[in-house]
Amino acid sequence: MIYLYVEQIFVYISFLILFLVTLLNLINFFFEIDKINHFSNNGMKFAFLCTTGFLTTRFFQTQHLPLGNLYESLMFLSWGFSFLYLISNVKNKKRLSAPVLATSALLVHAFAVLSLPHKMRESMSLVPALQSQWLMMHVSTTLISYATLLFGSLLAIVLLSIFHGEIKRYCVGNLTNNFEFRNKNYPLISKNFPKQIITESFSYSLFLNSRKCQLIHLLDKWTYQAISLGFSFLTIGIISGAVWANEAWGSYWSWDPKETWALITWLIYAIYLHIRINKKWMGKGSAMAASMGFFLVWICFLGVNLLGVGLHNYG
Amino acid sequence: MNTIQHLSTEAPSVLGGHRLLKSSSCSYFVTTAHGFLLARRMLSGISQPEKYRRILVNSYNRKQSNSSNTTVKTSTKLPSVDHLTPSDAPSVSNAEGREDAASSSQWKERKDDGVDVRAGFSSGKDKKPALLTDSFEYFAFLRRLKRTAEKLLSSFPLAIAELAIIGALCAVGTLIEQGQSREFYLQKYSEDWAFGLFNGEWVLNLCLDHVYTAPYFLGLLALLAASLIACTSSRQIPLVKIARRWRFVNSGASISKLDFHETLPHARLADLAVLLAGDKYQVFMRGPSLYAFKGLAGRFAPIGVHAALLLIMGGATYSAIGGYHGTIMVPQGLNFMVGEAMYPAGFLSQPPDSFDTEVHINKFTIETYPNGEVSQFRTDLSLFNLRGQEVSRKVISVNDPLRYGGFTMYQTDWGISTIQIHVDGEGPFNLVAAPLQTGDNKLFGTFLPIGDNGLAGAKGISMLARDLQSVVIYDSNGAFAGVRRSGSEKPITVDGVTIIIDDIIGSTGLEMKLDPGVPIVYAGFAALMLTTVLSYLCHLQVWALQVDDSLVVGAKSNRNRAEFAEDLGKLLNFVPEIVRDRSMENIAPIISSTNEELSMQGTSAKMDNESSRS
Repeated sequence: MIYLYVEQIFVYISFLILFLVTLLNLINFFFEIDKINHFSNNGMKFAFLCTTGFLTTRFFQTQHLPLGNLYESLMFLSWGFSFLYLISNVKNKKRLSAPVLATSALLVHAFAVLSLPHKMRESMSLVPALQSQWLMMHVSTTLISYATLLFGSLLAIVLLSIFHGEIKRYCVGNLTNNFEFRNKNYPLISKNFPKQIITESFSYSLFLNSRKCQLIHLLDKWTYQAISLGFSFLTIGIISGAVWANEAWGSYWSWDPKETWALITWLIYAIYLHIRINKKWMGKGSAMAASMGFFLVWICFLGVNLLGVGLHNYG
Repeated sequence: MNTIQHLSTEAPSVLGGHRLLKSSSCSYFVTTAHGFLLARRMLSGISQPEKYRRILVNSYNRKQSNSSNTTVKTSTKLPSVDHLTPSDAPSVSNAEGREDAASSSQWKERKDDGVDVRAGFSSGKDKKPALLTDSFEYFAFLRRLKRTAEKLLSSFPLAIAELAIIGALCAVGTLIEQGQSREFYLQKYSEDWAFGLFNGEWVLNLCLDHVYTAPYFLGLLALLAASLIACTSSRQIPLVKIARRWRFVNSGASISKLDFHETLPHARLADLAVLLAGDKYQVFMRGPSLYAFKGLAGRFAPIGVHAALLLIMGGATYSAIGGYHGTIMVPQGLNFMVGEAMYPAGFLSQPPDSFDTEVHINKFTIETYPNGEVSQFRTDLSLFNLRGQEVSRKVISVNDPLRYGGFTMYQTDWGISTIQIHVDGEGPFNLVAAPLQTGDNKLFGTFLPIGDNGLAGAKGISMLARDLQSVVIYDSNGAFAGVRRSGSEKPITVDGVTIIIDDIIGSTGLEMKLDPGVPIVYAGFAALMLTTVLSYLCHLQVWALQVDDSLVVGAKSNRNRAEFAEDLGKLLNFVPEIVRDRSMENIAPIISSTNEELSMQGTSAKMDNESSRS
């Protein structure tokens, strides 16, 4: 019983703090008050500790990693978001990822706490199929990958929704003063190569340093970094799931709906990474692929549970 | 004389070239029936990327010139187009013109880079006897076919489209339930959706009930594999070769063409070298020029990703056509032969000797938690060989299979086979139980007939069981009579008959697999995990050239990393600018232009971290 009370305390405190942190971040995003940064960072650290406390309590209660049912998975996801918040805090202070991450953590937490029925929140004993060491590695890497991929896709959605008409090819990618305006765009320039290039780059460099272009560039950079990290984790998650399935049930791929949707998510992010290389489709195409990835991750995580068939339907 | 003859035969002039090609293409239409490729080549003027062709030609040329140095004199004769006159146009009868490297487009684009294509080929033709020329041309033709295929398959939009369509088909497979019977689909999709375009019939016709083994899906996967191979061999490997080959530029102009370049006045190469070495670059210096790189793994890793994917696909294909699998539901206490339960998956399946093993189920138990939920299924198995000796014994459970002789036995299912009862003191009788409900909530039932009404009007006592512990008993009218736990020895009287439930005998559902492709797939998995992580390393290359007093620095990265420009800029900020102070020249002679020093270095030396900065 004591476990239950401790859990409840952790959960509700972290929920409250996440709410406050989200509010502060959104206010900061619009009004740029300096002190708020300090408060929100510390608040997020505290919320992170509370969520970790909840997960640890569950671990002590059930003797396995708290990843058995939907409630615990959602709390783990929220934990992942707050962890990402703290990591991106280390890298740069003034950032766009903070409101996005705080809001995501809050919303997932709220969904887990407020709308799941009490019955589902209890810690249940594992069904025989889940009693394995692989549980820890497979589910945890997959959930962390969901968190990072959702973060990256959210940034791509932000990019598209704010700048949908105006993403120019040269705002993403190499943001240097001298880049190629060569034969592709201006085939006749090659004779006057030195002179005109300087003129062109001068006028464009003014544009490049503009705030809008910098913002686009930053969003694209963060999207790429988050999605590339999430892609590695997703690969490891899918593969560990396949190896577990082979060791336990004899086939590493059985076209289970959840497996298949994880593969589809993997494919869409592979498409994103490949579009990013192509110079023609770089800015807008990649953002669209990443935005579609957002919905696919949610379908993969929650949607297939609603279908009710397959190995994964316990949550 | 002979060589010049061949020269003019093969080298199509601007004027006579098309005629030559057309005639040769006609002959090819006749001979090989692959003329459409030639025609397409002619018409659209496809030519390979310059660099790739030059690499190939270089390597071929080096091979040929090593092997034959007698016909070198033809190289001097190799001119630009102007030297050939219409009189040199070949006779049509001898038109066996080799298309490879003899096409007009290549001829036009060939710059004066000293590459001796003609010498190579003509000397090759000299050496080979006339009989082999056909096969030589055949190989050349195959090579060109391969290059065309590569170019088609490694196209970027095709790759994206493939990935997207495979993803969409996978999604369709989850929306429509797979693997059910024909009637299921006809009934489920009986209303015509999409204005009559989509209904149960269409589901079956389009193979949507088994999308993942449908021919178009497998064809798409094969196409994806082909694209992977083509992309790796035609784009990535040459890029790796070029990336490793391009070193030590000697002119400032080529450095200025790079994405990132800067000119540092009054700077020394050695300072830059030290700074780069400190930033974990591998630095090479030769004379006034410098080349540094970092993260070469980032070039190889994408190739590794594609190779790992191909490994996985290959292993899965091998599993699909070369394995065995089988499911069997065995009541406790009975035996079965492994080989009888296994079915081959494809045409490459080879049964191993271990299929002659007999499996005996000693005991099957279901363990439960205190709250009644199932905690584990356990089966105690013994394996006997043909001589009756026990070769293996293990208790398997759901996540813990038995591996023996190449095949693996998994615990996947369970059932109830019989209910053992005593009736009116007589027995024990085994009543076979039938599954009334399968899936997660299993229900088994059996029937004890009473009286003698024959088969049609049989009346009796029904017994239902959900697990191996208790039985629910109903009388002849279907009314609930009681519950008994197995082994409790408590009798129950129903319809005048006394029944004691002795035991509920379960049966274990085992799945057996022999999967030869698993090691390949596991290797592919490991490679994929590793290379996916590694491919985020950027391959950074820096070139620098000391031009008089200043330093021209250029850099290139393969990942479009914008931070790279900033980082390199910050690093370049640290390169000291040497101010020539005439008054101090006697006291501090070190601080002077060190061009002479650099030119005296001469050899390429690898710098390490301990070099000090002046």
